[in-house]
Amino acid sequence: MTVKVRFFARFRELLGTDILVEKKSGVVLAALVKDIAREKKEGYDAIFDENGNFREFVIVMRNGKRLEPADTATVMVAEGDEIAVFPPVAGG
Amino acid sequence: MLLFGDDGQERLKKAHIFIAGAGGLGSPVSIYLAVAGIGTITLVDRDVVELTNLNRQILHHDRDIGRKKTVSAEEKLREINPDITVKAIDTTIDETNVGRLVGSADGIVDAMDNYPTRYLLNEVAVKKKIPFFHGAISGLYGQATTIVPGVTPCLACIFPKAPPREVFPVVGVTPGLIGMVQATEVVKYLIHDGRLLTNRLFLWDGLESHAEEIAVERNLSCPVCGNIPPVTMPARKKK
Repeated sequence: MTVKVRFFARFRELLGTDILVEKKSGVVLAALVKDIAREKKEGYDAIFDENGNFREFVIVMRNGKRLEPADTATVMVAEGDEIAVFPPVAGG
Repeated sequence: MLLFGDDGQERLKKAHIFIAGAGGLGSPVSIYLAVAGIGTITLVDRDVVELTNLNRQILHHDRDIGRKKTVSAEEKLREINPDITVKAIDTTIDETNVGRLVGSADGIVDAMDNYPTRYLLNEVAVKKKIPFFHGAISGLYGQATTIVPGVTPCLACIFPKAPPREVFPVVGVTPGLIGMVQATEVVKYLIHDGRLLTNRLFLWDGLESHAEEIAVERNLSCPVCGNIPPVTMPARKKK
């Protein structure tokens, strides 16, 4: 199956975006994103904490719907899914 | 006024908009709402103009360095449009005064630079059912959404956890662009026209010159707005 992972803003600068991933079925969403992020330590550290969980402010969406951080460790990705990962910005 | 006619202009004149912050976002938002003829603008800020502000905070000029932003802002906005009422309040928005400061404004513009204060404004917006026009920037990145309590997700639905505080780099064009999105939303809301940026998060990537939006939805267990029964957006006027 093919899943698209999109990073935004600083995450995109670090890891690229619109990344198409070919996987066998039965992959958990967090693991999929982690695999991609591991390619660049700075990118991984920006998104995941020391326990390997999404940092609590990181927004993760699957097909336009936001996922609770805890759910990312159990939700399986499916063919055609689009995963968006982005950091809110804070300045004004 | 071909765009919205006398009726629309009258709505703007009767409106009271509360702008939280007279910095990077607050500058363009307040200038354009002033020239649009918003009858009453309340602007709150606690800071003094510094040299490093001037690359983006276009309400403040070189001669204003060292002056309170509220004094500088009020002066400029009065010059820009002497026919409107400008109330610039020099204070720190906190949980003890936020409700009183917002009063019975018709809309709250988020021109803050931190999430704790944004969350306070969001809570007041939800409690008083006042629309909340969110905007935030960092470097060449920006985001905006329009929150209509009960109809759309509130700020805490979309961003349950604040990102860490950071010294954010800014170039003035980004708050200019996001501020224009917010001001556009305020005007559309007041004249009852167009499709608001509701249930959508607008994301701007200035490095790529790429804009997109992400659908956002209410969290019915949100600690801030979860107890409000869902309502649908009132029909908008068709031209």
